Amino acid sequence: MAAAEAAHGEHHASAGVDNRMLLMWIFLASECLFFGSLISTYLIFKGESLVRPLPEDVFDIPLTSASTFVLLMSSFTMVLAVYGAQHARPQMMKAALLATIIGGLVFLGFQVFEFKTFADEGLTLSTNQFGASFFVLTGFHGTHVGVGVLYLSSILFGSMRRNGLGKDGGTHVEIVGLYWHFVDIVWIVIFTVVYLIP
Amino acid sequence: MATDAHAEQSHGSPLGPREYIYITIGLALVTLVELALSYSDLSAGPLAAILIVLSAAKFIVVVALFMHLKFESRIFTQMFMFGLLLGSAILLALIALFWNDPSDALGGKELPPLEHHDEAHQLFLDTERLV
Repeated sequence: MAAAEAAHGEHHASAGVDNRMLLMWIFLASECLFFGSLISTYLIFKGESLVRPLPEDVFDIPLTSASTFVLLMSSFTMVLAVYGAQHARPQMMKAALLATIIGGLVFLGFQVFEFKTFADEGLTLSTNQFGASFFVLTGFHGTHVGVGVLYLSSILFGSMRRNGLGKDGGTHVEIVGLYWHFVDIVWIVIFTVVYLIP
Repeated sequence: MATDAHAEQSHGSPLGPREYIYITIGLALVTLVELALSYSDLSAGPLAAILIVLSAAKFIVVVALFMHLKFESRIFTQMFMFGLLLGSAILLALIALFWNDPSDALGGKELPPLEHHDEAHQLFLDTERLV
């Protein structure tokens, strides 16, 4: 059985699940600790600023809502990509992956614009506690989106090779999908905690 | 054989594009409700509670249905829940340890408006001297 699995390039652990999927879930669990610490740091520091600008001076909720909507739509296209990969629809998978990449880039564009606007209004990483904790939290999330865009691009380019993603293509797309959806759910929390709760 | 059965199962989410469209519309509607609530006249406490509940609902829907955790092996759920609960515990512990009344930082004073940068800076220097 083991020899047969090795011959077919299988990646199943003794727990009966795919090793790569398990590794991604463990990684995402560790990311919960990372973002939990950053969010709590933001909550502790945001009311401790001794100089302005404060959140109410700089936040543009409609703009951030638009970027949130874009990220939500990219989660939808991501799940369609996974569906396409698992149901032998390569064109659907590629189109959905491309749409997800574009969604991620648009979200990053919104974030760059927001950071630039805040800097123009006098809020930088070193202005006050709010600025320091805000830029670190949202900056790390943006970095995760950037890494996700690169990861998605590598999968998309891989799928364009003659052999495509191989027989494990569905698993590859599902794993990058897990990462992308995690980035989305972290933003769901950040959007509520940072932007909406007064 | 069990492994093969699982592989079949994990690639056999019962949801299709139509269901995903409905879920996405639902998530977008909840986001719109959150946005509308943030502009409402609700006081901070109830508003925060409602927003957190709605946000948690969106979180659960995405993890269960988009990430297929509902249809996957329980070991994935256990792994993720371990990290999620530990992360939540860290968040609560840090807030419990370091949370301060924001007005304490300024000795009960209000920050001047944004256009009065010099005044704000002076207040900052005064507070530094007090410390």
